[in-house]
Amino acid sequence: MESLSRWGRIAGTGISFAVFGIGGLVLALFGFPLARLRAKSAQEREKRAQYQVHLAFRFHVWVMKKLGVCTLSVRGIERLREPGGQLIVANHPTLIDVVLIGSLMPQLDCLVKTDALRNPFMRGAVLAAGYVPNDLGEAVVSACVERLRQGRSLLLFPEGTRSLKGGELGAFHRGAAHVALRSGRPIRPLVLHCHPRFLSRGQHWYDVPNRPMGFEIEVGEPIDPRKLMRGDESRGVASRKLTAALRDFYQARLYPAAGRGAGDAIQGRDLQVGRRPDEDGIPFPR
Amino acid sequence: MKTEFHFRDEDLRPTTHLVDDLDLDSIDAVDLAVRVEEKTGLSLNEADLKSIRTIQDIVDLIDERL
Repeated sequence: MESLSRWGRIAGTGISFAVFGIGGLVLALFGFPLARLRAKSAQEREKRAQYQVHLAFRFHVWVMKKLGVCTLSVRGIERLREPGGQLIVANHPTLIDVVLIGSLMPQLDCLVKTDALRNPFMRGAVLAAGYVPNDLGEAVVSACVERLRQGRSLLLFPEGTRSLKGGELGAFHRGAAHVALRSGRPIRPLVLHCHPRFLSRGQHWYDVPNRPMGFEIEVGEPIDPRKLMRGDESRGVASRKLTAALRDFYQARLYPAAGRGAGDAIQGRDLQVGRRPDEDGIPFPR
Repeated sequence: MKTEFHFRDEDLRPTTHLVDDLDLDSIDAVDLAVRVEEKTGLSLNEADLKSIRTIQDIVDLIDERL
């Protein structure tokens, strides 16, 4: 029985990938052109395309739940409904994080690898929805700030890529901190818990666990960068501090038992993911 | 570099690699270039920035231009 359900879930996972791919093609062929026809401006067109992506993600999540691929519970979802563009930051344990978060938000901008433009299943959506390509160097930050100024919500993963399959939090890039500092927007943290863990970096898609991936998304209180900063710091220093504080926040939420300075356990974990030199020796604003 | 990024003296050697050792990102690179330009009056272009890997490279570049 156990093995039967395991094979069922492997098939379910395969079907989920197919749903994603087919969904991407259907939207590119029919949905997005329709949105384009009726839109008066680029912004309106992108917003409509993002809404279609949201509907597709909701359908995708529904399929995954039905197939026993995953379960999802969200704590504090009303916080995502607050008006105005939100700067949303999340940890990135699995391949389907964007699908889950996107299914909660009718409008959501995100950062995409330029590889996605070469992927026929994703290319249409990336172009139509106006997602920000990640290869613009410094201009990525201005593009993100601009989105927020237009009242659009934006999702960033400070890890830049999925966490490794062991579950340790990856090193954080400072882009999200730069966007928060330059836009003056508070950071809305989403903490993604996933047990059992599956579809992480370095894990095969067919290595399905013996039960559905249990997702719990915690919508946190906003983190206001202006409260953490003294105001006279260079942006190099400020972005390092904010990034370190953010990573601490996630470390504490994901591994409450370890705690900061709890000794070897957390040290070992940090060493494994390659702690960045700048994260040491910076005093933490509290 | 100390005031801009709060690095410690002992971490700043001629052979120190800006990206691998100090974890500078593209935004830091721009800030660093602006600082160097302010201090030296030089103007650096993108190719100059790309050629810089270590602290010694910055010193060499400034030496060469001044």
